[in-house]
Amino acid sequence: MRLPQFEYLRPDSLKECLLMLEESNTDARVMSGGTGLLVNMKHGVIYPKRVVSIKSLSELSSITKDSEGNVQIGACVTLSNLSKHPLISQKFPVLHNAVRSVGSMHIRNMATLGGNICLETRCWYYNQSRQWRQAKGLCHRTGGSVCHAISGSKRCHAINSSDTVVVLMALDALVYVMKKDQERSIPIREFFKDNGAHNTVLEEGEIVASIVIPKTAEFTPAKYIKIQHRQGIDFAIASIGAALKRNGKAGEMTIVVNSIASAPVMLKKTSQIIMESGFKEDAILKAAKEARSEIGTLTNLFSSAGYKRQIVEVLVRRVLYGIKDEMDLRRDKA
Amino acid sequence: MPIKAKEYGVIGKRQPKKDGLLKTTGRSQFTDDIILPGMLYGKIIRSPLARGKIIKIDTKRAERLAGVKAVITQKDCPGIMTDLDRQLLCNDTVNFVGDEVAAVAAIDDDTAAEAAALIKIEYKPLEALFSIEKANDKGAPVIHSGHENNYADEFDYEIGNVDEAFSVSEYVRVGEYAFNPNHNCYAEHHVVIADYSIPGKLSIWMPNQSPLFIQKSMGGILGISEGNVRVFNLNTGGAFSGRIGPRKHDFIAALLSKKSLRPVKIRCTADEEFIVYSGGGYSRYIIKTGVMKDGTIKATDATYLFDCGAYWISGVNFLHRLKYHLFPQIYHMNALRWKERAIYTNNPPNMYPHGAGFLQLKLAQETELDLIAQDLGMDPVEIRLKNAVSKGDTNLTRAHYASCGLKECIQKTTKISLWKKKYGKLPPYKGIGIGCGAMNSGGYDRSAALVKIGEDGRCSLFIGLPDMGQGSHTTMAMIAAETLGIATEDVDIVAGDTDAAPFDIGAFAQRGTFFTGNAVKVACLDAKKQLAAVASKKLGVKPSMLIFRDRKIFPKGKPGKALTLKDVISSDMNSMGGSCIMGRGFYNSPAKTMEPWESTLAYSFGAQVAEVEVDQETGIVTLIRVTVAHDVGFAINPMAVEGQIDGQVFSGMGQIMTEECIMERGVVLNPSFLDYRLPRTFEVPEIDYSIVETIDPYGPFGAKEVGEGPLVCTMAIANAVSNAIGYPVKEYPITPERVLQAIQNKKKAKGNEPLDRLF
Amino acid sequence: MKKMIVLNVNGETHEVAVNPWKTLVDVLRNDLRLTGAKRACEMGTCGACTVIMDGQAILSCLTLAVECEGHLITTIEGIEGPDGLHSLQKSFIENGAVQCGFCTPGIIMTAKALLDENPNPDDIEIKDALSGNYCRCTGHIKTIEAVRMAAQTDREGD
Repeated sequence: MRLPQFEYLRPDSLKECLLMLEESNTDARVMSGGTGLLVNMKHGVIYPKRVVSIKSLSELSSITKDSEGNVQIGACVTLSNLSKHPLISQKFPVLHNAVRSVGSMHIRNMATLGGNICLETRCWYYNQSRQWRQAKGLCHRTGGSVCHAISGSKRCHAINSSDTVVVLMALDALVYVMKKDQERSIPIREFFKDNGAHNTVLEEGEIVASIVIPKTAEFTPAKYIKIQHRQGIDFAIASIGAALKRNGKAGEMTIVVNSIASAPVMLKKTSQIIMESGFKEDAILKAAKEARSEIGTLTNLFSSAGYKRQIVEVLVRRVLYGIKDEMDLRRDKA
Repeated sequence: MPIKAKEYGVIGKRQPKKDGLLKTTGRSQFTDDIILPGMLYGKIIRSPLARGKIIKIDTKRAERLAGVKAVITQKDCPGIMTDLDRQLLCNDTVNFVGDEVAAVAAIDDDTAAEAAALIKIEYKPLEALFSIEKANDKGAPVIHSGHENNYADEFDYEIGNVDEAFSVSEYVRVGEYAFNPNHNCYAEHHVVIADYSIPGKLSIWMPNQSPLFIQKSMGGILGISEGNVRVFNLNTGGAFSGRIGPRKHDFIAALLSKKSLRPVKIRCTADEEFIVYSGGGYSRYIIKTGVMKDGTIKATDATYLFDCGAYWISGVNFLHRLKYHLFPQIYHMNALRWKERAIYTNNPPNMYPHGAGFLQLKLAQETELDLIAQDLGMDPVEIRLKNAVSKGDTNLTRAHYASCGLKECIQKTTKISLWKKKYGKLPPYKGIGIGCGAMNSGGYDRSAALVKIGEDGRCSLFIGLPDMGQGSHTTMAMIAAETLGIATEDVDIVAGDTDAAPFDIGAFAQRGTFFTGNAVKVACLDAKKQLAAVASKKLGVKPSMLIFRDRKIFPKGKPGKALTLKDVISSDMNSMGGSCIMGRGFYNSPAKTMEPWESTLAYSFGAQVAEVEVDQETGIVTLIRVTVAHDVGFAINPMAVEGQIDGQVFSGMGQIMTEECIMERGVVLNPSFLDYRLPRTFEVPEIDYSIVETIDPYGPFGAKEVGEGPLVCTMAIANAVSNAIGYPVKEYPITPERVLQAIQNKKKAKGNEPLDRLF
Repeated sequence: MKKMIVLNVNGETHEVAVNPWKTLVDVLRNDLRLTGAKRACEMGTCGACTVIMDGQAILSCLTLAVECEGHLITTIEGIEGPDGLHSLQKSFIENGAVQCGFCTPGIIMTAKALLDENPNPDDIEIKDALSGNYCRCTGHIKTIEAVRMAAQTDREGD
C-alpha cells in the first residue's frame, strides 16, 4: 500500500525538533520507529502534512542512570536495544519480558519505547484502508459521529494494545514530556485517557522524551503475562503487569491490564483484596473474580467481551500466583 | 515384488530443488518484479455497497488528470460476462462490497490512486443478504433473476438403496457442522501484467497453477482464440487450489492495456486480497450415518449448504457438486445420498480454500465417525480399520484402487504415536486423535512433454506444468534423468510460456507427478529409443541389450565399452542421414469412463495421529505432535514429499484451529496477515513422517500424488481437541472461544447424553 | 519534492532521487532493481521485505528511503561471498527449506541477522526471530531446520 504524500523533516537536535513541532501546529506527526505511524498512514487514517523524524536524535536514544539511581530510558531507544540492555534485563526482568513480547524481532528492531507507549489505539473499523472504511461509514475517529464497536456510543472505543505500559504502570514509571520552552513529568499511571481517539494526555506539540523507572522499583516482585492467539507476532487478547512494591511491611500491590479497552485498566479493588488478605489461595481466587467486574464494559473488538472477561480473570490469578511463587523463591533463597 | 529405491540411479533419493539457487539468492522472478517498457499501473474502483443500483458514473475528472492513460467502465466491455451471472465491470447493479465498477491506468501508482479517487459513482442502496439462512427466507430479495430461491446451484445424488440401508442400520447418528469462511492467503498477492497492445494477441504475466485454463477462459471471454492468449507464468508465490482460473483484475488489466496500447500492471493491496480472495465460503454439513453395532457403516445421508457469495464462479465451483465422492472414498458403505445447495448472498464470491473444501467435509465425516465409535464403545482406530478400503477394491461410487496402503498407514501411525498407550489414558485436557483420508492423482485427463537432447548430452525438458514450490519441475527432471541414465542437473526445465509449452492442463487436482510425470517418461523413452538406435549401430549390439547409466551407453555387462551421450548424439547428428534427438510424449488417461471418480487411476492414502494440549481456562490449543503416514505410491523425491506433508499439516492446522475471515455485513473485519491468523513458527508441531510405498501400476515408477492427500488427514487435530475436552467442537475454526464454549456445553450436557437432535 | 540521497546497498553506493513518502522496499525494487526483497503485506507483518540495516533485520516496507542515508544496507543479493553461496543459502537449498520461494529472501535475511548476532541459537530463539516471517508453504518446519543446520556448519567451519 502507498503512503500519502508529506513533507519530511529531520531535526538535528531536540531543540530544533520542538521548534518544528511548535511551528507545525496540528499539521505534523512525530515519527520514531515508524512501525505504527506508517501503517496508519498507509491506511489513510492519518495523513499529516509533515512527518518529523526523531529516530536519529541522540538525546533520546540512551539508557542512563541518574544521580538517584533511577533509570532513564530515551523515548527513541528501540525495543531490541532496551531488552538487550543489562540494566533492564538484570534489574527489571519483568520489563525485559514485556518488551520481548512485542511484535516480531523485526518490529522490535525498529519500534521504540516512546512509540510503544504512544501506540495509537486499534480497532477493526478504524485500522482499515479508505476503500474498506467507505463501506462502513465514517466513525468518530475518521471524521464521522458513530462508533461501530459500540453502537450509540459518543466516543471512540478503539483498543490500547501496548504491551510495555502494563509493566511501566505497575513499576510506577514517569513519562518525561517536552514541548518548546516547557517540560513536565507525568506519572505513567496518569498518562492515558479512556478515549480511543485521544488516548493520552499529551498536548499539541508535546513529545515523550524519556521514561523514568524509579530506583525503588528495582528487584520488586513483579510479573508480566501476555495471552495471545499466536505466539510471536500478535497483539494481546489481554496482557497484564503486576508488581508488589514493598512499603514497609504492608506492600503496595498494583495490577494493570491492557488490550481490553481504550486505556490500560488499573485494578484497584482487585489489588486491595491482596493487600488486605495477602497471597492466600482464596484471596487470589476472590481477587480474580473481582477483576471481572472491575474492568467495566468491554467491546467485542478482536474477541468477544465475555471471552476477554474470562481471560482477565485467568490473567489476574496467574499473575498473582506468579508473584507469590517469586516471593516464596526469594524467601527460600534468603 | 516392489522395486527398491536403491536400484534406481536418480529417483527415490533426496534431491534439493533445481530452482533453489535462484530462490535463495533473490534471482527468481515473480510477476511483481517485472517492469516492462512503457508499463502503466492500474487501479480498480470497487463498490462500497453490498448491494445497490448504480445511478451515475462520472469519469471526466479522472480522464483529465495528467498521467492517466485509460479509464474504463461497463461501456468499454458491454455484455462481456466473466461468469454466467457476472459482468466484467458492473453494469447497473453491484452485488458485494468490492464489486468492480471501473478502472484506471496511469503512469505510476500514485497517479492511478489519485485518478481512482476522482471517479464519482452514485449508488442507490438495496437490501442485501449476508447469510444463507436469510437468503433462504421466503420473501428474501432475489440477488440474480432466474434464481428466485437464491440457489446458485442445486445438485442431488443418490447411489445404492439409502432408505433400506438406514432401515437395517442398528445405530443412526446425525451431526451438524459449520465452517466459517477462510482464505488461501498466498504470500504473493494477486498481481498481473497484461499486454494487449497488439490487436488480437494478449500477453499476460501472472502467478497461476494452470496457464491452459487461463488461456481458455480469457480467450473465450475476450473473444480471441486461446492460442492468442500467451501466458507467462514465472514463479508463483503460493496457489493452494486458488489460482486455477483468471480473476476479474486479470481481465481488467487486459482491457486497460487494450485501451491505452501499453502494458498494464495491477497488484492487489492487502485489503483487496480479502476482496478477491474467493476462498472457502461459510458452509454447513448435516450428516446422518447408519451403522451396525460392530461398526460397519451402512449408509450416509449428507446435506451440504454453501454460501457462494454474490456470484457463482462457474468454472471451478462445479467441484462442490462432486464432493459426495469423499464419503465412500476410504470407507465401504452400501448407500449414499447427497444434497448440495449453493446459495447466493451479498458476501464476496467464494470458491474454496486450500484443499478444495475436502478437508471440511472430511472433518464432518470423521468427527461423526469418532462419535459413533464412542457411542458403540469402539476405539476410533478399530472403526476405521473395520471399514477401510484395500488394494483391489472398488468402492460405492465405483472408484477402483489398484494400489492402496490405507490400512498400513493406520497401523504405522498408531504404532509410532503409541496410540494404544495413550488413547483414553491421557490426563485431562490432553488429547489424541486420528484422521484418515485419500486423494485422487488427477482425473480423466492428459499431459504432453517434449525432450531435446543437445549435442553435448544436455537435456531440455519442455513441459506445461507450473511449479508453485511443490517441486514439480525437480520431480520431472528426476524422472527424465532416471529414464535417460543422466543426472538431474543435466536436465533444464523449459516452462512458463504457453507459446513454447506442450499441452498440459496445469498443477492442480494433484495431477502433476502422475500425468505430466507419465508424459515426461514417455517422451524420454522416445528419446532413449532414438539414442539406442544410434548406439546399437556403433556398438554392434541389439538396442534391447543397451544399458543407459551415468551419462553413458554400454552393452549389458560391458561398461568398458561405454560411449558417452555426446559421442552418440554428436557423431550421428553431424553425419549424412543422421538425426537429432528429440523425444515426444503424451500420456492420455487410459480410463474408459469420464465419470469423475471412476476415471481417477490412482489415489494416495494416509493416516495421521495428532496430539494436543488444551488450556481449559483460556481455550488455547497447543498442537504438540502430528504423526503422519502417507501412501504416495513411490516417493520420487522424498525431500519434496516431506515438504508437502509439512505444508499440509500446517495448512490443516490453520484451517482447523485459527484461520477465519470474520465477516460483518459483507466485509472481512480482519483483512490482514496480522489479524487473519495463519500460524507462525511457534505454533508448528513436531512432525513424524512415514512414507508408505505401494508402487501404483499406473503411476510413473509407481508414484501417486502427495499434493493434497496429507491435508485431508489433518482432521486428526480436530479429533484430538474433542478427545482432550471430551466434547466435540462443531464450528470451525476451533478458536479458543469456541473451545471454551464446548467445555461449557459439556458441563451442561452432563455426561454422555445424545449430542444432537435426530431427524 | 524529490530529494537526492545516497544509499549504501551491498557495499555499493547509489545516488537516487526519491520522494520522502517512498519506502525503502520500493526504492530497492523500482530504482535499484534489487527485487529480492518482496512487497507482500506492506504493513510490517509478513517479513517478505526484510533487509539488514547496520546489522539488524528491518522491514523495508516501513522504512522511509530518505532515512537510510548513512546506513549500511544488505539485501539478499548481497550475501553471497567470493566463495559462493552464504551458508544459510546452501542450508536452505540442501534441507528443502525452499518451496514457492516468495518469502525465502526475507526469511534468509532474518536468519542471517540472527546468526550474525547469536551464532548458537536454540530452537526458541530461531522461532522467535522467524515468527515475523510469513510462510504458507513450508509450515516453517524445514526453514527452522535449515537455520539450525547453517548455524552448526558455521560453528564447525570456525
